[in-house]
Amino acid sequence: MSGERISTCSDAEVKGRFARLWSHMNGDERKDVVQKFAAVFSLMALIVVFSVTSDAFFSVGNAMTVSLQTTSIALLGIGVTVVILTGGIDLSVGSVLALSGTVAGLLVKDGWPIWAAMSMGVLTGMVCGCINGFVVTRLRLAPFIATLGMMLIARGLALQLTGAAPVSQLGEAFGVLGNGSLFRTLSVGANGLPKVIFPGIPYPVLIMIVMAIIVAFILRRLAIGRHIYAVGSNEQASRLAGVNVNSTKMFAYATSGFLAGICGIVLMSRLVTAQPNEGIMYELDAIAAAVIGGTSLMGGVGTISGTMIGAFVISILRNGLNMNGVSSFIQQIIIGCVIIGAVYIDHLRNRR
Amino acid sequence: MVAPAPIVEMKNIGKRFGGIHAVENVSVELRPGEVVGVLGHNGAGKSCLMKILSGAMSRTDGTIMVNGEEVALANPIEARHCGIETIYQSLALADHLDAPANLFLGRELKTRFGTLDDKRMEMEARQALRQLNPNFKNITDTVLNMSGGQRQVIAIARAIYFNARVVIMDEPTAALGPSETAMVAELIEKLREQGIGIFLISHDLNDVFDLCDRVMVMKNGQNVGTHAIDEVTKDDLLNLIILGKLPDNWSPRNLVAS
Repeated sequence: MSGERISTCSDAEVKGRFARLWSHMNGDERKDVVQKFAAVFSLMALIVVFSVTSDAFFSVGNAMTVSLQTTSIALLGIGVTVVILTGGIDLSVGSVLALSGTVAGLLVKDGWPIWAAMSMGVLTGMVCGCINGFVVTRLRLAPFIATLGMMLIARGLALQLTGAAPVSQLGEAFGVLGNGSLFRTLSVGANGLPKVIFPGIPYPVLIMIVMAIIVAFILRRLAIGRHIYAVGSNEQASRLAGVNVNSTKMFAYATSGFLAGICGIVLMSRLVTAQPNEGIMYELDAIAAAVIGGTSLMGGVGTISGTMIGAFVISILRNGLNMNGVSSFIQQIIIGCVIIGAVYIDHLRNRR
Repeated sequence: MVAPAPIVEMKNIGKRFGGIHAVENVSVELRPGEVVGVLGHNGAGKSCLMKILSGAMSRTDGTIMVNGEEVALANPIEARHCGIETIYQSLALADHLDAPANLFLGRELKTRFGTLDDKRMEMEARQALRQLNPNFKNITDTVLNMSGGQRQVIAIARAIYFNARVVIMDEPTAALGPSETAMVAELIEKLREQGIGIFLISHDLNDVFDLCDRVMVMKNGQNVGTHAIDEVTKDDLLNLIILGKLPDNWSPRNLVAS
């Protein structure tokens, strides 16, 4: 009986605390909490549903697969989010990824050390981003057109450089970045075969987390991050307030290109092959992840944590549907509906 | 009484777009603590003239002196360095940022690690805003959710915080209700007390008579008359705005003398 009393007491206290916290928040913070809660809740709901419907879904191995699948969408999504925050769009990331990866692969074939070749791959991505930024800020073309052009240019270049053939036999070392993991522990079993005790944290997942933290830090804690939001909210006001709008946009496109470059070398390393056809339509997944995570295509609104949730929603949805034997055609229909639904809910929330 | 030296002197300012003179040979000066109304039709060149002073637009002719020194005013940042702040009617704020972020936009306070010092910015902003309007609440709301009056307070606080000596206000009361208009009038009075000179672009003659010391009327890019507010009537100003000249039988109406 006393136990019951204690539990109700602490329950009330928790409620009281929440109410106090809630009353201290202003409208925007509340909206933010509701949105984050809703997104995380739908992610949890997906996990519960798929765990029930499929035996193989809720396992360490599958969690690993899902996180690996999420890395590409998330890395591209983070970059695209930064661009969308300025009020732009980046359609080129899927192609830039392919170009960066093939450049790295070709250089390795050419005898370059792996680290140097991969650095050049990332640099290639960044240069593509800078060109996007140049076309948007100096030639004053709409971001949609500028990055559409880059999407074709980068893809064409990747195909031309490789003769449209995958670059293979890159050596085992090329695959470490994509296939290795940190803290992987093995023990030799009684039968003399290695047994995995802890599968470790895959390097791609680690890179994704580090990049997400760095970019979130830039957006929240540095002046350039604040300017990115300001430019997306009201470009003219920002210019009049003395913000260098062009260099802010340039930074956003360069970041997106840089992350596409990282994504490119990670992905090609995972395949241990440089594929010029890799990453087709990935830009749309990246944009979808950003949008599901609450990023407004009008600019000025969005967070990296939101995009990360969006990326996980997409890859868990795909993975879970696969596990349940849903055809890829039906998957497209479902993901399409999710995107429209997520944006509609966001729209309702903001209309109030 | 000797009039204090002007803070701003604009001499023979001209702005051409191709063959069109948007502003032609306009001269005007502004003294500390003085409010000068800038009147005229849409397209008379008043916004253009003020954009030249705020560094948002380059001039083709003329010189600008600030505190007796000639300045170029090539961009808004340079104008700010000269102590010239502009409060725009509608373009002033980034909607998705909160009040402190807007107040410090482009001039953020930083910690010694180079990161944004949000705590200090919030504290300073709270102080600056409370000084102008003690009832200012929710300063960490995005300005999207704020009233026109609150937005105007933020814009004005921005000017004061950064020690403006000249403030250009473009239709500050155009989008406001009566009580908020009164509040802006009070704010202008506070600026004047601090010795700040104000150029006030306005369409509202009531505002002009309530707030200004002098008026300058523009028509077709030219200055058609600068007068102390107590020597003209509303009809005189309308004559200047519409016809570009005073009535033929005009003589100064001097309220102080009568």
